[in-house]
Amino acid sequence: MRPMDYIVPESAEAAVAILAERGENACPLAGGTDLVVDLKHAPGNINALVDVSGLAEFRGIDVTDEGLRIGSMVTYGEIMEHPVCLDKTPEVVAASHTVGAVQTRNLGTIGGNLVTCVPSADSAPALMVLDAEVTLIGPNGWRRMPIEDFFVGPRKTILEPYELLAEIWIPKHTLGKPSSFYKFGLRKGQALALVNAAAALELDGSRIVEPRIALGAVAPTPIRAVKAEALLDGQDVDAELLDEAAKIAVTESKPIDDFRASRNYRRQLIRTLTRRVLERSVEIARERQEQGELH
Amino acid sequence: MLVELTVNGESRSANVPPETTLLKMLREHLDLTGAKLGCDVGDCGTCTVIVDGVSVNSCLMLAGRADGCDVTTIEGLATADELHPLQQKFEEHGALQCGFCGPGMLISAKNLLDNNPDPSVFEVRDALAGNLCRCTGYTKIIEAVIEAGEMMGQEQANV
Repeated sequence: MRPMDYIVPESAEAAVAILAERGENACPLAGGTDLVVDLKHAPGNINALVDVSGLAEFRGIDVTDEGLRIGSMVTYGEIMEHPVCLDKTPEVVAASHTVGAVQTRNLGTIGGNLVTCVPSADSAPALMVLDAEVTLIGPNGWRRMPIEDFFVGPRKTILEPYELLAEIWIPKHTLGKPSSFYKFGLRKGQALALVNAAAALELDGSRIVEPRIALGAVAPTPIRAVKAEALLDGQDVDAELLDEAAKIAVTESKPIDDFRASRNYRRQLIRTLTRRVLERSVEIARERQEQGELH
Repeated sequence: MLVELTVNGESRSANVPPETTLLKMLREHLDLTGAKLGCDVGDCGTCTVIVDGVSVNSCLMLAGRADGCDVTTIEGLATADELHPLQQKFEEHGALQCGFCGPGMLISAKNLLDNNPDPSVFEVRDALAGNLCRCTGYTKIIEAVIEAGEMMGQEQANV
């Protein structure tokens, strides 16, 4: 690696100010699992690293009146161990578990992963189906938006220059919502998703309420399958209906051909995985109903 | 920059350029060449060390990030008198051939057993998913880890 300045800022505001002052040759450093590799092989003009990984504003997992707050610099390893995540967002934990391997999950942060913004990012669909939001801090202060709006294209987010992803928020009303995540890769360990899928829904009797479907590695960014969701909304659960929704999800996707899989193979995966995550979410919702009746 | 850390129970420090990885600091500044430089991109796991209780790829971690931390490397496993149970079982099972993956494999296995003394085969495979071995095919490694866990459990029971 070429010589670099390594700067540890005192606060998130200070980090933004330092980045703005140093200009395009400075780069924020999170877990480093992508950036350190890039710096070894294609450093570009980067000559300073601003290590934001320890900033208090970007750390911690807390439950507030608004919901669950996950600091952007929380590692996947920390999410997997956290009792509230295990209890209230088990599919975010499941998605975290499919990222890389133990060592990279202990370094890699959820925020770093979202900022890298590859279409296959595993946490993205699991967060999207829970209506997650993100907060950003930049030279013009803080702003907040649905996580879908954060993704703009492959490796491109909505972040303005010197702006940083600060937090991920899962709103209170979706904590514990019946949800399912499924990733299909070429291996179980250290593999990128050919397709990943998540669903979340509630059941009112047998009627589907607030269905959500999100897919990764099927388009330039992780996407919500909103037409498939609309088909399900307010309908009675039925196996054919779930499969019909899965078919619609395929039409909402634009998978690519690459060395990992063909477009047609990915289409098959989208239909199968979408159906499975819907079925599993329904199963969980029904288990909840039965538990509710027992109490 | 001055980086001060505890390695295998000893206080160590070195003045390193800020872009130095923890792996490079261990190998070139502290003469601890047990952790290996393999792929250098976080895939192979032979650089694995434990930092403050969690295993990491030391090739992806800047040394500055480890300032003040407690680091365990492969050199910290055996004592002058005795191999660590994992090392004994790896030897018994022939779990290593060329040995290049060993330092990371053993550290990942140690980190697993520290947190989960009686792991299932699935848990061992999951814990070692970030450690690539191109010789043995993993079966003997997994057997060795499970037996080492049993051995450590018995040793504890006998204390």
